[in-house]
Amino acid sequence: MGKETFLGTVQDVKGTTVSVALSDGSLTGFVYINGQGYRSGQIGSFIRIPIGFMDLFGVISQVGASAVPESQIVNQPHGNRWMTIQLLGEGQRNGSFQRGISQYPTIGDEVHLVSENELERIYGQPDKPYFVKLGHIANAESIPALVDINKLITRHSAIVGTTGSGKSTTVASILNAISNKKDYPSSRVIILDIHGEYGHALGDRANIYKINADKSREKELYIPFWALNFDELCEISFGAFNDEKDKNIVLERIHKRKEESLVKYPRQGASLDSLNVDTPIPFNLHHLWYELYLETFATYYSKGRTGRPIDNVAFEIDSEGNELKGNPKEGVPPVFRNVKNDKDDEEKINYLPGTLNIGKQLSLLGSKLRIPRYNFIFKPGNNWMPEEDGKITKDLDELLKGWIGSDRNITILDLSGVPSDILHTVIGVLLRLLYEALFWSRDLSQGGRHRPLLLVMEEAHIYLNDEFKGMASKIVQRIVKEGRKYGIGAMIVSQRPSEINPTILSQCGTFFAMRLANSTDRGQIIAALPDNLEGLTSMLPVLRTGEAIILGEAVKLPMRTLITAPPKDRRPDSQDPIVYDEVVDEKSQYPGGWATKMEIDPKYEELIEAWRAQNPKISRISKKE
Amino acid sequence: MKRDHVESSNVESIGYDTSTRTLEIAFLNGAVYQYFDVPEAMYTEIMNPGISKGEYLSRNIKGSFRYSKV
Repeated sequence: MGKETFLGTVQDVKGTTVSVALSDGSLTGFVYINGQGYRSGQIGSFIRIPIGFMDLFGVISQVGASAVPESQIVNQPHGNRWMTIQLLGEGQRNGSFQRGISQYPTIGDEVHLVSENELERIYGQPDKPYFVKLGHIANAESIPALVDINKLITRHSAIVGTTGSGKSTTVASILNAISNKKDYPSSRVIILDIHGEYGHALGDRANIYKINADKSREKELYIPFWALNFDELCEISFGAFNDEKDKNIVLERIHKRKEESLVKYPRQGASLDSLNVDTPIPFNLHHLWYELYLETFATYYSKGRTGRPIDNVAFEIDSEGNELKGNPKEGVPPVFRNVKNDKDDEEKINYLPGTLNIGKQLSLLGSKLRIPRYNFIFKPGNNWMPEEDGKITKDLDELLKGWIGSDRNITILDLSGVPSDILHTVIGVLLRLLYEALFWSRDLSQGGRHRPLLLVMEEAHIYLNDEFKGMASKIVQRIVKEGRKYGIGAMIVSQRPSEINPTILSQCGTFFAMRLANSTDRGQIIAALPDNLEGLTSMLPVLRTGEAIILGEAVKLPMRTLITAPPKDRRPDSQDPIVYDEVVDEKSQYPGGWATKMEIDPKYEELIEAWRAQNPKISRISKKE
Repeated sequence: MKRDHVESSNVESIGYDTSTRTLEIAFLNGAVYQYFDVPEAMYTEIMNPGISKGEYLSRNIKGSFRYSKV
């Protein structure tokens, strides 16, 4: 090996930390190898220590005075000829590289700069189809940044970075690469898109499920209430119960309805013996609600009638003489007459004996059955809305097939229309449905083991910061701990890693760390990193936009990578609004901003329309083809 | 809405719906907007080959009509 790559010699070895005394020659800073210029001693750049037939590889973490070993401080007070190195792995001379080291360097071993040719040997295996190219190594444009999708998917990953550091672009770039039908005809990705950013970027490769969908390019998102388990259903519909007794009454009623439904419409795989309240069997919640409402609030004619009290309910009568019986399907509660116990009046009205104590819960559910925002759960379209006896036209298979078994590899679940009070639970439900379906079907060709699923969780800090109290964080914890075995991989994307539970973060095998300015966030990431890489992580605050340090299992060596952004029309819709466009108005591709004058008739009624409809696309938009 | 391709440094294509008086502009970056209640005469004018689309848009449409991203 040439003299020109020589940096210095090993002077001190402590674990994987190696102190190197720089040679006089290498201090010039700039060397040429095969016509390529290199700056020697750059923090974060790689070095090589030849030992016999092996090469040890490491990364420079410190250069200059503070890198002097403690024992040398007295001898070399101006010890600027030192650097500290973190060892990473070793390689055979023929180029194969592996993590971990089998032997240590000793005093006097030579330390060399790693040239682009050598880097290429370590990083580059572009001919292997299980590597996807996301960009190129930051200081070497010719070397592609390759990520092993085997490890990326099954060992989970995290993409972290400050707002504007290029996270969404990185996600889009990864998804663009793995949704390529030519190389990966059966890839399978679900994106939980909380702000509706990805529809635009992946429109032609993805199915978009959304509440209040624009039918021309999106599908309506439904999560049938009967697919929820009991805890999830309570969380979304009834809220908390006063005591265990009330809860058990509701539990029994649901169980009974599911049982009746199953008897009438048997379903393969479910039997009466194994049925429990959590089994996803269709039942009619609306009628259950009505029944419970009656039992809780009803009054009855207590004198002079035959039959049970429940047969003599005292409904209020409206001005036209109709009984106000309400409407279970629409969530309209019945109205009852007041209790009457007058001395001279023959008509006596009383509360039903043994009324339930769940009035608050029923009122809450009633209002949810009426509010259109909750329709995606409580009125899940004509297909998944059970009739009173539990009859449905389509079962869960159709729902799951739409999400993970369609002709398109990516499914975007756009959750921007989910009411924020139930967002955590809805995410928890979605993830649990997917997890359970793929877990139990693990031996089938469409199961998780044979067709793994990548779950991309955008803005994960929103629902993973609650110490596993919420449904979402509980199931995510389960996925990151056990998903690997069943082919369910998580990709956690966040700008606030410090708000994500460390247990979840520490299970991520691969990190895409983008610029992170906040020191708490940085600390959290450094603590979770699989490698001992002070040198690289110290660069986190100064990374450029679109630059990421990729480290962990999916890459051979940590790489500082410039991510190639997808084409302009494939970028996610997370760009900041433009306040004042930098180009002149005649060339601007932006119709608004502070530089444009106000229109004469801005029609604020349309603004309110969008708000009320909870849909940014107003009805005025012309849909004519 | 059907749009016709135009030569311009910022506009990709332009369409118009007579019944709802809606002008649809697609910019080169892929973003599509609908301007509401635009007179048909203005559509005819902007489609005139001699007219610079960006300039016409800036002078007569931006800031004069309300719009929505579609």
